[in-house]
Amino acid sequence: MPKYQFVIDIQYKSNVRDPRGEMIKRVLNDEYRIPASNLRLGKSIHLEIDAESMEEALKLVDKACEKLLVNTVTETYEVRKI
Amino acid sequence: MTRSFPKAQVVVYPGSNCDRDALWALKYVGFDAEFIGIHDHIDADLVILPGGFSYGDYLRVGAVAAREPIASEIKDFVNRGGLVIGICNGFQILIEMRLLSGALLQNSTGKFICKVVELEVSDITTPFTNYFIKGERILLPIAHGFGRYVKTDELKTNVVFRYTEDVNGSDEFIAGVSNNDKNVIGLMPHPERSIERLICSDDGLRVFLSAFNYIKLKKTQEDQKANAKVGV
Repeated sequence: MPKYQFVIDIQYKSNVRDPRGEMIKRVLNDEYRIPASNLRLGKSIHLEIDAESMEEALKLVDKACEKLLVNTVTETYEVRKI
Repeated sequence: MTRSFPKAQVVVYPGSNCDRDALWALKYVGFDAEFIGIHDHIDADLVILPGGFSYGDYLRVGAVAAREPIASEIKDFVNRGGLVIGICNGFQILIEMRLLSGALLQNSTGKFICKVVELEVSDITTPFTNYFIKGERILLPIAHGFGRYVKTDELKTNVVFRYTEDVNGSDEFIAGVSNNDKNVIGLMPHPERSIERLICSDDGLRVFLSAFNYIKLKKTQEDQKANAKVGV
């Protein structure tokens, strides 16, 4: 069975405050004078899926996200193939 | 429901803490109490999900614990009207299980906060707060990094405890909520850590007394009903 590789990018929704992102942004702004803004710290998960087809693999990744990897109340996610 | 003595079970996950404190508190107020694991069955009037860092909280706080086999047992137990208290990590687990609404995110300070805080009891009609007076101010310890309560569903949020000042950035200073049926409560402060005045306060004791009292009254009523039927 072929293996398919994915990256799942998980971010807090834009209306959810992200204290870690705010702290990192502050250090970039104040310590290094880098005019960064809208900085959000999320998660990325790399994984391989055994599946018959890319379509099936994508379905399984979506299932993984909905069931466990992402809290859809506060987070959004994006799946990329690699 | 043939048991005559109120029985409580404390679910111990890998990484739980304060589970022994919870067991101590339960026995202290008169419960027949025991620990159960994630593959055990629920046989109790009250279930406690203790604090801690279940499974290291690596993915999200409480996320893995909320998907263990015991989770479906807890959901069935709740649907049957059973009482559940989630304390700290237990609250986070109940939220991940969607038994309570809202979300618990990192404290707005970005720091782990460990201190004694003042709380206001907002709802005394739950089975866990009938020993309190409405608006009463009590002292309970907190110890969490992810305790910022964010409201996601206005209708479903029934606030039971509020901080009296901004502690961790929670919406409306919310510290504890219950479901609509009020048989499930989750709170970030630790009542099981404050049952002796010698350490901190004994305000937490009344959470367990309330539950004990509620279960005892319910059992008495059920017995009376049963006896009345036999009498006819």
